[in-house]
Amino acid sequence: MPLPESVPAPLIIDTFKDVFRAERAGHRRQDPLGWIISVPDTHQKTVLAALDKERDIRVLTCSTEDEANGVAAGLWMTSEPVIVMIQHAGLYASINTLRGIAMDGRVPIFYMIGLLSRERDKDLHESKHSMVRYAEPLLDVFGVPHARLEVPDDVKYIPQYYRLSRERRGPTAVLVGLATS
Amino acid sequence: MKPEDVLQIIADNRGTAICIPTMTTSPAWRTIAPDDLSVGCVGFMGGASTLGLGLALGAPSRRVIVFDGDGSLCMQLGSLPTIAGVAPRNFTHLLFRNNVYHTSGAQGTPGGEGLDWVMMAKGAGYRMTFAVRTLDEFKQRLPAILNGDGPVFAELHTGLSEKTPMTDRGGRAFHEQVETLRNRLQA
Repeated sequence: MPLPESVPAPLIIDTFKDVFRAERAGHRRQDPLGWIISVPDTHQKTVLAALDKERDIRVLTCSTEDEANGVAAGLWMTSEPVIVMIQHAGLYASINTLRGIAMDGRVPIFYMIGLLSRERDKDLHESKHSMVRYAEPLLDVFGVPHARLEVPDDVKYIPQYYRLSRERRGPTAVLVGLATS
Repeated sequence: MKPEDVLQIIADNRGTAICIPTMTTSPAWRTIAPDDLSVGCVGFMGGASTLGLGLALGAPSRRVIVFDGDGSLCMQLGSLPTIAGVAPRNFTHLLFRNNVYHTSGAQGTPGGEGLDWVMMAKGAGYRMTFAVRTLDEFKQRLPAILNGDGPVFAELHTGLSEKTPMTDRGGRAFHEQVETLRNRLQA
């Protein structure tokens, strides 16, 4: 297995745009192209910084990850394309809302979850940091499909898991291994 | 004010507004307005306001009215600056204030009667904030509630509702309400 690499922010944002364009196809409303609902994440800060300069994508910063789930659900109910960007600590903090809205409400929510402190030379399950170690097991307990963003080629998982969330009408996640560049 | 009387007035005047009841307003609302432009939030306490925010942003041509509770808002207090920061003009936040967690047995809320919710919403940045203590006042404020330049925040001093989600567990499953509202908004 290759060692994880830092994935460049422009590559991630271009992928977001492709995802949003695909969902917007045929819709009356085209502006904004899509929504990023975020609670700031150290691990994905280069993406968030670059998104600030994007005119096509609207970024909404929430106070908590619980709120991010609610906003994403409301937007989806109006057919708006939306991605939630949070950190692993936020996943732990908001797991009841994920359950209540995305699972019980059968609302497709796609999460990009930063794994702050993920060690480059260790598998997640061997991390000395509990926040890193328990992220995948927690998602497994709740039956949330997930993939890792560990090398640039892994951006293919973003559209794949975004579509999967829509197909299964529930939550899916991509875990961001190393801090984005 | 009885919460049921407030809800009846809203139902009679809401037009095409999307309404989001939570906790103790849910049983009464589904009796008063059993329609497909409502979605009741139970099971993720405090989430109604941001669900409403998402709806307001995604459907800017409709008014979105959240029926929040004081106990619920305590659980997601950060939603006040989140909503005010985006400031959707079609968003109305009604706070049904009774100073207790009615559903779980009427335990007192943190801060109780001492909390000034209007000041909190105003401090967060809501465009319009006011308190309402009588039905007559509520009727006078109705134009602002239904059409005011949002986000509008109204603190409604009410008594306890007749039913709670614990004493009246009926109603459609949350996911069915979500699906119905989504389909209605796509039509």
